[in-house]
Amino acid sequence: MATDVLVVGGGAAGIAAAVVAARSGCSVTLIDSSPTVGGQYYRGAEPPDSGSGLSYEALRRAFDELVDAARIDRRLHTYAYALERRDGGFLLRTRGDDRHRGDVGEVEASAVVIATGAFDRQLPFPGWTLPGVMSGGGAQALVKGSGVLPGQRIVVAGTGPFLLAVAHALISAGGNVAAVVEANDPLGLARHTRSVLPAAGKSADLARFLAALAKKRVPYLRRHRVRRATGNGRLESVTVSRVGDDWQAIPGTERLLECDALAIGYGFTAQTDLAGQVGARMRIGSDDGLAIEVDARQRTSVDGLLAAGETTGIGGVDLARMEGLIAGVAAVEHCGRRAALSERAIDRGMRDVVKLRGFADALHATFPVRDGWRDDVDDTTLVCRCEEVSAAKVRSAVNDLGARDARSVKLLTRAGMGWCQGRVCAPAVDGLCGFDSAASLIGGSYRPVAVPVPLGAIASDRMSP
Amino acid sequence: MSDKAAKRPGSAGSTAAPAEFSFDGTPYRAIEGQTIAAALIEHGIVAWRRTRVNDQPRGILCGIGVCFDCLITVNGEPNVRACMARVEPGDDVRSQEGTGYGD
Repeated sequence: MATDVLVVGGGAAGIAAAVVAARSGCSVTLIDSSPTVGGQYYRGAEPPDSGSGLSYEALRRAFDELVDAARIDRRLHTYAYALERRDGGFLLRTRGDDRHRGDVGEVEASAVVIATGAFDRQLPFPGWTLPGVMSGGGAQALVKGSGVLPGQRIVVAGTGPFLLAVAHALISAGGNVAAVVEANDPLGLARHTRSVLPAAGKSADLARFLAALAKKRVPYLRRHRVRRATGNGRLESVTVSRVGDDWQAIPGTERLLECDALAIGYGFTAQTDLAGQVGARMRIGSDDGLAIEVDARQRTSVDGLLAAGETTGIGGVDLARMEGLIAGVAAVEHCGRRAALSERAIDRGMRDVVKLRGFADALHATFPVRDGWRDDVDDTTLVCRCEEVSAAKVRSAVNDLGARDARSVKLLTRAGMGWCQGRVCAPAVDGLCGFDSAASLIGGSYRPVAVPVPLGAIASDRMSP
Repeated sequence: MSDKAAKRPGSAGSTAAPAEFSFDGTPYRAIEGQTIAAALIEHGIVAWRRTRVNDQPRGILCGIGVCFDCLITVNGEPNVRACMARVEPGDDVRSQEGTGYGD
């Protein structure tokens, strides 16, 4: 049975798109891999009775009501693994969660909204495979999703304002945060007043996070970088140094921070796999990461395929929600209906998208990734954690075997060939090898199967009557 | 932002139902809805897989289902992502060696 609008991902963007489409009279199916909607930021938290209009809280309440009224078919614990064109529309192939990965299914749709979010970008360093080292998003998921702190004494590190959000979530839950280690200089944001002032609400969030840190006397170590992690079988400490403009460590500034958890991330990588499978055009975002190219109405280069949220360029949860609204409108129009959102509201939404995108660009300019991280990656440091490929092997593929792109490195070393399909190591391989990341990112991002599926499940599904 | 208060082991005030499970034969208690990774970390267990090539310990990295570093064996089924799978009462959770298939 076909649906008018299929939304992949139930975060802020997906919820907004689904609500607009359902209110406009379209049949809507929304799938999400988690047991709840809400995405990485809001997670399953029940929406408070506050917020009106197009706020997240109001949209989330509307979403729940539309699910209860059977106007949105919400499918949780469901992974999308392949998207295809089919009869002028789309066919999405799905599977169940890891306990039910043989439960394969299909959804046919006229329009598809890709709202699959992003995950933390990692850069390798000695000791980064020690248990206790995890992504900022992983630490946030533990504390917000399961009510568990990642450790007794936690260091938050990497770059970007998300570090402050993670530290704030940990502190709010009673966590002991030893330090927030920021490789860039956040004061650089002051240079971007034209982008920052219109998004005053976003700056207020940052100020609130900083105030929470100051209240708990948590040091915010600016222009500092984690250089290695040490411990016997699990994390016991990290070494940080002050860094220069290119993130090169400044001699004599090394300092040891004892900790049993490190929450680290250097920005984000968008989940663009499904759009790539149907040939949607990609672009390189202002954070040097891959993003799905969209027009002002969130339309991709593929007719009927919309994208919203982090998949179109990392920009945070408020931008995601506004893009979701616009994508919902475009999906409705693709189905030949009129959107149940006034022209004024649509215009305002599109203006908000421009404003919030400008703020995101200012953040990306303030919190870039600089090359100095490579200096600490010694020969034994693993680059590809799945296939356990060392930096020595990756460098040798370039220096001794003549590899000139990430695909050749992968074929020569197996870096990127494991379970995660290169999602984690791609930025590291490009950085260490000095590849043009734009070409490499676009070339290396095609994944015909977005999540592993048991062959037996596909075979039995295809043979069943 | 609505931060849910984190509960340390044995902390009072949680109203969620407990779920008993075992890890490598030892019984543990989780709160229903917690991921297996979260339940183990709450009990101080941060590694539950040894890698195929170098036999090194691993726990969670991305924590949101992308990196597959946290694979674990649940009720005899290997390669379950501990960061995504929720604890279900009676789960027999086992640390995983390599591929999990004893090869």
